This record gives sequence, structure tokens and C-alpha cells, in this order.
Amino acid sequence: MSHYEAPIREPIILGDKTYHDISNDIAAPIEGKANTWWWVVFSIASFALLWGIGAIAYTIGTGIGVWGLNNKINWAWDITNFVWWVGIGHAGTLISAVLLLFRQKWRMGINRSAEAMTIFAVIQAAIFPVIHMGRVWNAYWVMPIPNQFGSLWTNFNSPLLWDVFAISTYLSVSLVFWYTGLLPDFAMIRDRATKPFQKKIYSLLSFGWSGTAKDWQRFEEVSLVLAGLATPLVLSVHTIVSFDFATSVIPGWHSTIYPPYFVAGAVFSGFAMVQTLLIIMRKVSNLEDYITRLHIENMNKVILLTGGIVMVAYLSEFFVGWYSGSSYEDFTYLSVGAATGPYWWAFWILIFCNGIFPQLLWFKKLRTNFTVSFIMAILINIGMWFERFDIIVINLSRGHLPSTWAQFSPTFVDIGIYIGTIGFFFVLFLLYARTFPVVAQAEVKSILKASGDGYKRARNNK
Amino acid sequence: MLIQYKIKQTINMASNKKYWKSVEELKENSSIVEKLKQKEFVEEIPADQFLGDKDTLDSSSTSRRDFLKYVGFSTAVASLAACEGPVIKSIPYVIKPDDITPGVAEYFATTIADGIDFANVLIKVREGRPIKIEPNKESSFGSTNARVQASVLSLYDNNRLKGPKAKGEAITWNKFDTEVLAKLNELKGNGEKIVFLTGTCASPSTSSLVKKFSEQYSNVAHVVYDAISESAALDAMKEMYGKRSLPDYDFSKAEVIVSVGADFLGDWQGGGFSTGYAKGRIPKNGKMSQHIQFESNMSLTGANADKRVMIKPSQQVNALIKLYQAIVSGVATREMSPLNTAIQDIAKQIKAAEGNAVVVTGIQDKNAQLLALQINKAIQSSVIDVVNTRNIRHGDDAKVTQLTADMKAGKIGAIITHNTNPAYTLPNAKEFTEALKKTKLSVSFAMSDNETTNASQYVAAIPHYLETWNDVLIKKGQYSLTQPTIHKLFDTRQFQETLLKWLGSNETYYDYLKGNWNNNILGGKSWNQALHDGTFSVSVANEENLVNDVDISAAGSALSKIKGSDLELTVYTKAGIGDGQQANNPWLQELPDPITRTTWDNYLLVSRIDAERLGLENRTVDNGALNGDMVNITANGVTIEKVPVYIQPGQAPGSIALALGYGEKGLQEEMSIGVNAFPFAKGIFHNASIEKVSGEHEFACVQLQHTIMGREGEITKETTLADFVSKPKDEWNSPPKFSLDHQEVTQDKVDLWEKFDDLGTRFNLSIDLATCTGCAACVIACHAENNVPVVGKHEIRVSRDMHWMRIDRYYSSDMTVEKGKEEGIFGTGDFFNAQIQPSDAPEVSFQPVMCQHCNHAPCETVCPVAATSHGLQGQNQMAYNRCVGTRYCANNCPYRVRRFNWFKYFDNNEFDFNMNNDLGRMVLNPDVVVRSRGVMEKCSMCIQMTQLTILNAKKEGRPVADGEFQTACSNACPTDAIVFGDVNDKISKVAQLEKDDRSFKLLDFVGTKPNVFYQLKVKNTKEA
Repeated sequence: MSHYEAPIREPIILGDKTYHDISNDIAAPIEGKANTWWWVVFSIASFALLWGIGAIAYTIGTGIGVWGLNNKINWAWDITNFVWWVGIGHAGTLISAVLLLFRQKWRMGINRSAEAMTIFAVIQAAIFPVIHMGRVWNAYWVMPIPNQFGSLWTNFNSPLLWDVFAISTYLSVSLVFWYTGLLPDFAMIRDRATKPFQKKIYSLLSFGWSGTAKDWQRFEEVSLVLAGLATPLVLSVHTIVSFDFATSVIPGWHSTIYPPYFVAGAVFSGFAMVQTLLIIMRKVSNLEDYITRLHIENMNKVILLTGGIVMVAYLSEFFVGWYSGSSYEDFTYLSVGAATGPYWWAFWILIFCNGIFPQLLWFKKLRTNFTVSFIMAILINIGMWFERFDIIVINLSRGHLPSTWAQFSPTFVDIGIYIGTIGFFFVLFLLYARTFPVVAQAEVKSILKASGDGYKRARNNK
Repeated sequence: MLIQYKIKQTINMASNKKYWKSVEELKENSSIVEKLKQKEFVEEIPADQFLGDKDTLDSSSTSRRDFLKYVGFSTAVASLAACEGPVIKSIPYVIKPDDITPGVAEYFATTIADGIDFANVLIKVREGRPIKIEPNKESSFGSTNARVQASVLSLYDNNRLKGPKAKGEAITWNKFDTEVLAKLNELKGNGEKIVFLTGTCASPSTSSLVKKFSEQYSNVAHVVYDAISESAALDAMKEMYGKRSLPDYDFSKAEVIVSVGADFLGDWQGGGFSTGYAKGRIPKNGKMSQHIQFESNMSLTGANADKRVMIKPSQQVNALIKLYQAIVSGVATREMSPLNTAIQDIAKQIKAAEGNAVVVTGIQDKNAQLLALQINKAIQSSVIDVVNTRNIRHGDDAKVTQLTADMKAGKIGAIITHNTNPAYTLPNAKEFTEALKKTKLSVSFAMSDNETTNASQYVAAIPHYLETWNDVLIKKGQYSLTQPTIHKLFDTRQFQETLLKWLGSNETYYDYLKGNWNNNILGGKSWNQALHDGTFSVSVANEENLVNDVDISAAGSALSKIKGSDLELTVYTKAGIGDGQQANNPWLQELPDPITRTTWDNYLLVSRIDAERLGLENRTVDNGALNGDMVNITANGVTIEKVPVYIQPGQAPGSIALALGYGEKGLQEEMSIGVNAFPFAKGIFHNASIEKVSGEHEFACVQLQHTIMGREGEITKETTLADFVSKPKDEWNSPPKFSLDHQEVTQDKVDLWEKFDDLGTRFNLSIDLATCTGCAACVIACHAENNVPVVGKHEIRVSRDMHWMRIDRYYSSDMTVEKGKEEGIFGTGDFFNAQIQPSDAPEVSFQPVMCQHCNHAPCETVCPVAATSHGLQGQNQMAYNRCVGTRYCANNCPYRVRRFNWFKYFDNNEFDFNMNNDLGRMVLNPDVVVRSRGVMEKCSMCIQMTQLTILNAKKEGRPVADGEFQTACSNACPTDAIVFGDVNDKISKVAQLEKDDRSFKLLDFVGTKPNVFYQLKVKNTKEA
């Protein structure tokens, strides 16, 4: 099962693990009791979720007017949050699918949580297109459902409809992919479980996994097929999300660079979110041996690359804006509209968080430092939120006709819903951390003999 | 059938089968079975135990029967109460009135004459409810402004008086009459003076009634008083031409128009001049009028002028004198100031125009008015008509001042006010209110409670003009009739009716009016025809005017003694609120001021220079809204506290201005806004001092960026007359060019989209920027026609105005591309920041914008549920009940004309305007749906009107005639700047306009192919 790994490569699994150690370590959070910190964080997250639910209920009960939107800026925090969450949801599939195809073994320590994060983030993202509708109760009209209204059908020209398909496809493929990977791990938990109820549940969840060679063969094949299916989705989802803007006629939105720029940005923000979560999780769940400095460094490298792509995209946007000689483009990118206008602070947060700070990761010392990586990840999350805010709000606030220029300021409801989704995300993630095998232990075991530090040392000393 | 069969089967089976309960049954002749057959209950029922005891039964008040009755009844009642039927307040026509067909509108010609606005109008009545006011285009005063358009909502004002009152208590009309008559007779006996204090009614029949009353009560005086007074002009006319009425002006004849502080496109001398003015504003044969405006605060008129000279009110006086000297006396002052040079230049142009010129002035001073009249006389102006004069202002300020003094001295027995609110509109209102208490009898005829009714002993509730009979003599020889279009909503009685009662007559005012017309006016012509037309013209013999010899030099020298001051305060009227009599009308409160684009407020207009000097600021806050500092103004011995400051480009430094009509008492809370400027209303200007106070005022503006940011070429095109005449079209109206294979091509070469079928009717709307004065009558017309909700000050402040059409107003900036390149800052942030600032003396352009009904509409492609789609007649249609409210369409609209229902705007106490009460809802147009929360709405090109036109033509089996297709805005436009029609009808006006050289499309380069197009503005910048 094992492959040969060059001695020069750093071990991926630390701490002289045996197969049994891995099983013990991964099952520990599920079999043990939650510590105080889990409860504290869970309570805060639940409270935030409740607040969000309250804010959503208020919105649906009273009208979208409780948000800070207006007739000139019809989208702001709602779609910003949507794009932000979808973007975050990109890393999981990239890690599990693309890295699988590229045979990157280090992904095994992080892919489970990255995928979980993806799914939870996409769930958050899906909330916004629904609740931002003026008449939520008719939201199902965006689905091509045969109806009694005669020829009424959805408009297949609308990028919003493409979003519906893109997101739902992405969510379902991600979910299936994730779940497939979970099967042997659930089976492992099942086999260890002593409490009958727990055993029952994990038996059901593991779909009767028996661990035979046939099971494993099918498992590998399905993984590969799903990885093949999921890979184009990594590119398609954010490409389609970017079409919401790119196909419009609004200066600043109407831009052909958007699809690659959005995809890079999404991977950028997704990896930042994975970083944020895993740096905490490796401490809290005692996974330091599985999520190592190497993982963090590798992810930082991806961040550096995608951050670079994003920065090039910004620069080319500014260049094209200036080069076009169009006063409309000038406004959105160069001058009062962005850098020196009413939203100058949002513009500069974006530039610093996404463009300037990540350049520090060129230094190996910094990119292998957990604290620096964590702070960087948070900054990028903030920067990427502002990127979407800038794209949506600044461009809408400076439209074609100067008479329609306006500004936006959020209300407590806007903020409440956003915080609510963060709460919801963490509620889901914390529950996941207590009930799911958070590292793909079956996969990790497959590389233990090649990449485990004990085995490597033994081999090298031979 | 099937069921019956089954039952039969069951019965048959029953006869075959036997069921048994115990083995005993199987035995024949079992005693037990027999016993059971006889007795249902095996054991004795102890009925005796509870029925046998007679005492218990007697003591019980409820019998078993009663108990069951109660149970039955309460069950029935409870279930009935649970299912309450809806209360439907409509009553079907059991017997249909002959002249009403449900669903078909009727039109009645009538006339509004409320003291400030005078117009011949048509009232659209649906199922007995007046719902819309249209101009009566067949009459000579058939143009409406925003207030006239909105007056239909004032009919359904919840704030109106519902009946007569005495000392604040409701009484009956009988009691009212008895008590007032008793007092009147007592006064008559004592020979005390009875005074009628009214606004200008211009009604011959009312005047004759008042005259009759005077005959009966001997010591009677009729004092006329206008809130927006033209007393100075009237006095000047009296002095020069011997009659106290206003000259008429036909601006269509003018080649040169010089206005010194006269807002003649606004409310100057009663307004209504824009129709004639507009005729001269489109170049014909290379000629158009030239309009020069001297003014201090930016007025609608100044904004439309070819040349605007920004001077303080005291300098205006000076300018008028100089103009007079240059034109009439022929004395050219050799002073080398820019103002003087301009005046000398204008004088030359006036002389060159040979009588086709006019000088008008709004300086509220008799001498100034005399000067203007004299100039027009000297140049033999063909524009001014001093023979057939206008009757729409009669107010005499001197008499009112005298009256107040007399009242104070106790010389007045009774004061009867009608159509006026002096306790609010008089500069010395407080004094008047005090004096009013000294009269023995005070009766106020009013539509709603106000300052005067509160101070009067008796309040007579009068009906709205849509509920009354009356006549108006707007101009000499031009009679008009007012007729009721709805039965009186409340227990009201019109002033004239009451006068007839007091005179002891049993006649109704209708009979009196008809009699008066038949005897004195109609001259044998048909009353019915006159009523049908709403107007009746009498040819007047072109009598020569008696011209008095007036000592103009004395007037001039009196004028030249007027000294200016550091800060000169004037008052002005706004297009929406006017004199404030319709201040409780939410449509008008929400109407953006054409110049400041601010709603729900009045404010002190200050120039940037003065603001900086005094440390006053306007700030943009986070949500983009405007905040302003506040000041206390002291002038004329009065201090008004906490007045917000609005920094107005084009305000002459050293001058400040405040709008009238605000700060009235007794209005609904939402409408009780602003400060009362009437204390400053009298005279030319007041020497004012202002003092900054703490606090910040929150404005509600619909436009927050005032300059066009160098985008003129694509948004509001403009050219000069010289270029228009001499240069090829491409130089002043070039279509957008696109690059294809390194070649410059026109738009059709690069279009990605397929064309729609262009068969049948295709509606186009043409808007002429040369004749659009920005008056905003169309905005209100649209509001009324399309049930547009009023959203209130806060929502407007956060850019959620719901108007389907708006009139964008742009100021020019001092920073141009050329200047930027010269200074080397072009393309930098500094350049843009400079461009954002309007010039201190800006040129102004107006541009009405509604849904452009694009043929390639960006909104249509992005709607996920196809709620907005292209109509076969060129409209971009909106299916409200399909809309889910993603608002993507609004984001993708380059024109930002889509309006979202952020809240439920009807039946919602948060928005307590006309859609939140039964009375106010009567104004709703039944042909247009009221939109629910969460849907997008926008201009529909009045599809309900165009469909009706098509249907009517179809029924009559004829093609639709040109001009028959109308939208609310095109119909309301007093200058015909908005033309609507079928562009596929090649002879239609709109098809001609589309091909016109001046025609262009808004943001044409985007490629949306709108069905709305504009005609560019031409400015006559010719120098002498």
C-alpha cells in the first residue's frame, strides 16, 4: 500500500504514530467529552445564530427596507456575504479533488475539514440569495418547476438562474464527495464504538462498510471519478458567480477579467479560511501531529500564488480602467469612486489585506510560523470580504448618471444577519468536530509508512 | 348508482348472516333473550333518585331542556363568531345611473382658482370619484403646474374640516347661521364695520354677491389679500394705466426677454407663462428668443436662462435703473463694471429687437414696477398686454395693513375671512391674531383648521373646489366655470351659498350663478355649452388704455435711495408648496424641489462664499444623505430659530433666501415641517443677520451629486444657437462611435442583439430639453396616475424615493477637461474632486428621466423569473405578481429608474399618508394596481392609458389619431416638451421628432436602444 517517499521530503505525520495511534487520535474527540472551551465557543456561536435568525425573521416580516439598501444600491451586504461564503467554500473541493488528481499526499491531513468547511460555507452562502428576495415566499419560482401558470418559466438568460444551478450542483457534488470519503472512517468509529446507540448511528452512517478489498477498490474508483467531476466545478462555481457582475452593463462590473479573477480570489479566501480553522483545530483537537507546519506552509504557498493572481487582476483592472479613457471606468477604479471617494477606507483595506500583507509570506520564517499564518488568514478573510463589498457597493454607488450617485450604510439587521451566518457556520463546524472523524484517517494510514516520521527515520537510518 | 347497489347488497347479506352476542341466543324461546328484547337496559335506571326528589328539581333553576338550549346556542354562536364574513364597503349599482358606466372614466371641465393657482382643467372621474386632473388644452389657461395636478389629493385630505364650528365646538349649520346672523344684525344696528378679507377669487358672481351683501348691511368693506402678493405691480398698473390688474405677457413673441428678479416660469404674477415662453425656445429658421436673468437666488427661470447674472436684490434695483436709463433715457453709464457692461449690452439688444423684447421685474416695489412698465412702453413691446389684463392677483398690502390697524383700534365690528389664512401668511401675523380678538365677530371660511380658524369665533367648513360651483374671470374677457365633480364629502357649505343664506335668499348658488351668467355674461349663448367647455370667451373691444402721466424720474430717484446691506434676505415660493395652502398634501411635500432636489423641507439658501465666511457647512454622512448646519435668522425685527442651511450654487453672495409655505400649524405631524418665512415676506429684501447655532439638520435629497462629471456628451447634450445654425450636426450632436477592426463604425455594426419585430404600434417618448423648464408638473401627474406611494422624509433621505419619473438637475463645474489638462491634474483624484464641485455661478440643465423602455433592456436579461419583459409595443413591461424581488434588474439599469417596494407602503401606519386611510385611498386609480411589498416597479409608459386609446379606436373602427396616445407626463407638460406617440405612424409628431437633428438617446453608447429619446438644448448666447 505504501509508496516510496524521498528522504529529503519532510514527514507529513509526526509523533512516531502507529496505525492504532491514528485510530485513537481521530476517534478521541468523538469518544471523549467536550471541554469547556468547546462549550464556550459553541454557546457564542449559537447565540450569534439565534441573533441571525431573529434578524432574518424581522427582514421577512417587515421588508427588505430594514436593511441599508436603496434604489441606487440594491445589493450590498447580502450579495457581498453570498460571494464571500461561496468563495470560502472553494478551498475544500480544491484540496480534496484537485490535489487528489495531482497526488498531493499532504492534503490527507486537511481535506476532511476543508470539505466540511466548504459545505458549511456553501450553506451560509445559499441563505443570502434566498433572503435577499423581496418575496422570499416565492423563492421557488427561480427553479424550473412545471407549474399551473401556463407558459411561465424561468429566464435562462439570467446569471442569477445560473447561480442557482451552479451552487446546487456544487453543493451536491461536494456533499457526495465528502460523504464517500467519510465511509471507511465512520466504519472505524462504528467498530470501536461501545455504546449501542452510537454503534447503531455509525453503522447507519457507514453504509455497511466492511473493509474488503472490493470495498476499497470501489472507494478508490468513486473518489477518482468524483474528483474528476468536482474539479471543473471548482472553476465553474465562481466563474458563474462572477457572471452576475461580468455580464451586466454597469461600469466596474462589466469586465471580462472577472471569471479567473473570482476563481483565484475564491481559492485565496478559501485557503485563508481553512488556515483559520485548522490552526485552531490542531490545538483544540490535539491534531498537531497530523496538521503540521508543513501543511500550513503548503497552504501559505497556495495563498501566495492565488493572492498574486488576485493582485495582478486588480492591477490590470486599474490599468484597463485608465487605458480605456472612459470616464465611467476612471471613476470606479482610479479616483473618487474608489481610492479617494467616500469608500476610500474599504478600498485601502482591500489593497492592504489582499495585496500588501500576503507578500510577507515570501519569507519562509513567516510562512512557517503559526501565529503569523493565523493573523494573515484573518486579514485575508477581511480583505476578501471587502473585495466583494468594493465591487458591489462602490460600483453601484457611482453609476452612469451622476444624478443617481448614492451611498450605502448598513443597519443593525445587515450586520446581524452576517454575524448570524458566522454563528451558524461555527455551530455546524463545532458539531462536526465532535461527531465526525475530522481527519481522513483511512487515507492518512495509507501514507503512514511512507510519510510518518518514525518510519522515515527508521528507513533513513537503515 | 354504485352506492345504492352496495347498500342493497349489504341489506341482502344482513338477512343471510346472523350475529349473536351469547350462546343464549341460539336457544329458542330463551327467557333471557325475550327479556332483553323487551328491555333495553338490563338494570333499572335510577331515574327516581334524581328526578323523584322534587325539592332538588325545584331548587334547580336550570332544567335539562334549558341546559341543552344553552349548549346548542353557545356552540352555534361560538362557531358563527369564528367565521366573520369580510366587510365589503362597495355598493353595487342596483339601478345604474344613466351617466356612469363602471370602469369608464368621465371628464368634466372645471377651473381651479384657489388664490395662488388659476387654471382651466379637466377632471377625470371614475365611479363618481375625481381621481386625476388634466389640463384643459382647449382653453387659454389650460396649463397645469405641480400644485394644480396635486390638488385632487387635497380633496381627500383627512385633515379637512368636517362641519362648521363655533369656538372650537362642532355646531349645526342652522345654529351657525342663527348665531352669526344675530351678531351681524346687531353690528348692522350699531353701524359697525363688517369686513370681508379674502384671497383673490376673481369670481364675478362672488363679487356681485358681496356687493349685494354690502347693500344690505351698508357698512361693508371687501379687502383682498394675497399671501404671494403682487401688490407692487398692481399699484404700478393702477398708477400708470388706471386699473388695478396685472398685465399679460406673451413670451412667444419675444426675441429678447430680460428679467430682473422675476421668476416668471414659477409663480411670478400668477405664473402660467411657460407655455408661451417655450414656444420661443426652439430655434426656428435660425432664430430663437434670448433670455437674460438678473437674480439673487437660483430660480427655475434663472436656471433656464441663456445668461444668468447673479446679483443681490439691492443690485437688482440698481440694474433696473441702469437698464431704464440705457433704454429709455438713452444715458449710458460709463461705469466699468461687468454688471454695467452687461446692461449696456442688453440695452443694445433690446433696441435691436424692435419691440419684440420685454423687461419684467419681480422687485416688490411700486417704483421698480413702474420703471419696467415704462421701459416696455418705451420700446413698444409687443409681448406685454396692458389692455386685456389678468385678474388673478388683486391683493392690496396697504389696505391689509390699514385693516390690521383698524382692528387693533377696535374700529372693525366683524371680520369674515375666506380663502386666506392671514394669521399665518401676514408678515405681522401675531399682531393680526391679537387684533382679531378685538372684533365682535370673526368668521373664518376654511377647508381645514389653521391659524386663522383657531383665532376666529366661528369656522365655516367650505368644500374643496372639486365640490363647488363658481366662476372665474382669469383674464379680461376669459370667463371660466367651476363645477362640482363629486357630492360633498363632508358637511360643508361654500362661502357663496352661506352669503345667499345670510342675505335671506332661498336660491342656491348654482341658480344664482347660472342666473348671473345668463343675464350678464353669456349674452344669449348656451349655458350648457359654456359649462361643458369650462370656459367662455367674450370678445373685448380693443379699447385704448388711458395712460397716466407718471413721474418716472421721481420713481427712479426713490429707487436709487435703496441701500443694500451685507446680507439681504428674500423669500421665494417653491414649485411644490407655493403659499402653503396645500402643505398637508403629501405628494407636494415629497415632490423634489426642481433646483435643490430636496424634499420635505424649507431651508435657508446661502452661497458658498457666505457659508465659508460664516462657518456654515453641508456634510454628506455615511449613508450618502446630506446634513446641514442650523442658524437663527434675524430680520424685520423677527428671529426665526434653527433654520437649516443649504449651500446653493448660483446664490448671489451677500444674499440669502427662504421658501414660503412651511411651518404651518394644524397639519398632520409628518407634514408639520420647516419654518414659517412669511414674517419676511414683505418688501424687496430684508437686512438680515444670521447666527450659527448648535445642532444639525437632516435633509432628504433625491440627488446628491450635482455636476455631470464631464459626461455631457452622453447625458444632457447642449449646444449654442450659433453652432446649431452654422455647424454640421455631427459637431454638436454626434452619435457614439465604436471601434470594429480598427475602423470607427456606428452602433448598428457592433450590436450583439437581434432586433425585435417592428410591426404595428411602437411607442416612443420624446423629451425636449430646450423647452423643459423643470417645473415638475409631470412628476405629480405620474404620481397621481400610477398610484405611486408616498414614502416620507426618512425613506427619501436614504435614497428610496418612489417617483417613477424624476427631473435630474445638473450644475456646471468650473473644472473642465481642458482646464484640467492645462493645470496638469487631468485624470487624477484632484481633477475628479474638483469636477464634483459645482461652479459658484453654474449653468443649469434639467433632464426628466423615467424608464427608457430599452429595446435591448439590460433589466430583462437578468431577471431570473422573467418578471420584466419586452412588450410588443416597445414597452419594457413589469409583471408585479411574477416579481420575486431580487433587484438585479435595478442594479443593471444604467438609468436607475427602477423602484423597489422596500416596505408595504399602503395600510401601514409607518407610512401614514393617503394610502393609509379610506379617504386618501379614494384618489387611487382603479386601472393601476397598488404594488405589494417586495416587488420592483417603474414607469409603464402609462400602458393603462394607451391600451384604452387602442380599445376605443377599435370599438369605433378607426385608426388612432396622432396626439391621441398620451402618457400622464406628456399630457401634463405645460410646454409640450414631452411628446408621446407611435413612432411607426410616420406622420405622427413623435416620428418627426425622432428624425430631428436635435434628437439623441440617453447613454446611447451602452447600446440599450431606448424608446425614449431627447431633443438637445440650444442656448442663445449671442452678444450684441
